[in-house]
Amino acid sequence: MPKNSKGRDVAQIIPDKCIGCQLCVGQCPVGAIEMQDGVAKIDPEVCIGCGKCLDVCPVAAVLFEKPAKKRLTGVGQKPRPLDEYRGVAVFIEVRDGKGAEVSWELIGKARELAGKLSTQVQGFLLGSGIGDVAREAVYYGCDTVHAIDSPALQTYLSRTYGKNLVRLCEEVRPEILLLGATPLGRDLASVAATTLETGLTADCTGLDIDREQRLLLMTRPTFGGNIMATIYCRSHRPQMSTVRPGVMKTPKRDPERRGDIRITGFQATEGELPRIIDFVARAAEAEDIARSAVLVVAGKGACDARDLPMLRELAETLGGTIACSRPVVQAGLLPYTRQVGQTGKTVAPRMYIGVGVSGAVQHLVGMQASEKIVAINTDRYAPLVQIADYALIGDYREIVPKLIEGLKARAASSTAR
Amino acid sequence: MHIVCCIKQVPDTAQVKIDPETNTLIRSGVESISNPYDVVATETGVRLVEKHGGKVTIISMGPPQAESALRQCLSLGAADAILLSDRAFAGADTLATSYTLARAISTIAAADPVDLVICGRQAIDGDTGQTGPGIATRLGYSHLPYVSEIVGVDIEQRTITVKRLVEGGTETVQARLPALLTVELELATTRYASLPEMVRSLRQDMRVLGAAKIGAAVERVGIKGSPTWVRDISAPPAKKGGPVFLVSGGSDSGVEDFLRTIEAKEPELLQELLSKGRA
Repeated sequence: MPKNSKGRDVAQIIPDKCIGCQLCVGQCPVGAIEMQDGVAKIDPEVCIGCGKCLDVCPVAAVLFEKPAKKRLTGVGQKPRPLDEYRGVAVFIEVRDGKGAEVSWELIGKARELAGKLSTQVQGFLLGSGIGDVAREAVYYGCDTVHAIDSPALQTYLSRTYGKNLVRLCEEVRPEILLLGATPLGRDLASVAATTLETGLTADCTGLDIDREQRLLLMTRPTFGGNIMATIYCRSHRPQMSTVRPGVMKTPKRDPERRGDIRITGFQATEGELPRIIDFVARAAEAEDIARSAVLVVAGKGACDARDLPMLRELAETLGGTIACSRPVVQAGLLPYTRQVGQTGKTVAPRMYIGVGVSGAVQHLVGMQASEKIVAINTDRYAPLVQIADYALIGDYREIVPKLIEGLKARAASSTAR
Repeated sequence: MHIVCCIKQVPDTAQVKIDPETNTLIRSGVESISNPYDVVATETGVRLVEKHGGKVTIISMGPPQAESALRQCLSLGAADAILLSDRAFAGADTLATSYTLARAISTIAAADPVDLVICGRQAIDGDTGQTGPGIATRLGYSHLPYVSEIVGVDIEQRTITVKRLVEGGTETVQARLPALLTVELELATTRYASLPEMVRSLRQDMRVLGAAKIGAAVERVGIKGSPTWVRDISAPPAKKGGPVFLVSGGSDSGVEDFLRTIEAKEPELLQELLSKGRA
């Protein structure tokens, strides 16, 4: 933006855009605008930079940026310069008193990112009785673990966790903060990013660093997974991202590793908190399909209760479990908790075996990150067959028993060896 | 009670198909609908009002076309609809969106106090699930994510009790009103709109509010208020199908060929999986 000799930001007219309507001439409180050759012209020495001409111009021919008004939250706080933020932080999620697998995966990635930035990996840990988890976090690669240990953090509440994570961010000032894209992580990340007024990118599948500008490059699938967008957060810190479980590799645990564990005091929240009245653990039937290494997925083409035991047997032969596509849930054959796809769960098993799954877009977006995809279908041209690493074309009632037989024979021969 | 439900207009992904040649989405001619999670949010709001009295106001931020998404939800029984539309809102990420919606809800609440805000857990096009929690944080309401069942509302005590899905189970939680819920699809089955409601939804006036009307600072909405930027967009690495094995009646060579191939190509993976399996 141009400045005048007094150093004041002044407005300018883009002559090519101006239509000569003279609206701005009438608006200008100091008479700085005159018509010249049919277009408006602003005298920079007279202009006071009020921006009234910008408001009134019907064709956006005024080049001017209004000074930012005072922010509504964080009033009186000046944003800190970006280079006051250093380090790659990982929020460590606690589950049944242990660190969640996704948190270790993120520490592994954080080490790589921190290496490129020549900085440290910080673990942010919230919970109750979490000393062991803090040590584990060091073994997996944290240089420092900042922990807040309080009975008030025994169960997850957006407000208590949000406030305490924000506090850690303000104290430690990491340039990057990664969270697992679990239900808890997604909610907490949104709460913290909103309070910190910073950018947050959900469900990233790739993270990299632009070294020159110290920017985190976050790649995520969008529009149903058919476009990859790389997103960055230019001028707000920390740069926040959630990453789905199973996308990054778990680093090697090294019990010889040493790190610094710092305990910080719990920050109580104001106002009344939601009260947890009851908790019912999910039945074994509802085991989490997102965590299974192998999924045998029943589709519309294998939607028959009589065949479920056979599919289950195939899954168990490989140490996996069964899941399904939406029509199978709608038919009442399997519960919603086993549905893969856009309105169900996103899965990325080491091996996905689709039986009679045609592969509608909504299903594909929920499973295309699977390591190996096997399709069993009668239709050679079904979408899932097109993207499968291996496809078996024929009647699944014929194929699946042969597969089980073949796999069992191999399992037996390998144990015999 | 006064309930505000937040609606997003999204492309109907059920109609989206993949171009088999280029492996990209065919988006032309795809209809826009209300995000299914938000429809459940509206249904939930309408049921609560049927039980406890009051009204449901639905709001949406979007271009003028987003009006059709609001009319779809009006037909379920919402009383009022407000479209937040302003050129300044364009290009908003979730931070700017939650700011805009929170400003709108504050404006609505100033005239008619709001007891409950209901949002879908996520939108089916972006899948971020960040806007609802963002609004709750800004408004300072009790925040109850992933609600799968409404146990009850106590108007006298001003509390709401819900069941929500958490890691490993279901939690019953009681919170003080005003509260914000983000809801799961399984919370409610959406009704079919009655004919009179459909007619009303089409005839009803729609209030359209811009940034100034909701007291939103121009530099905090739309692209100006969005800290995240898109650096580039690319097609994902094209996934080509692998070998195809034909299995036809009687002969089992197809399955055996497949097993031999996978054994040769991923011996470690297969061994690892078989060792975990029950032979």
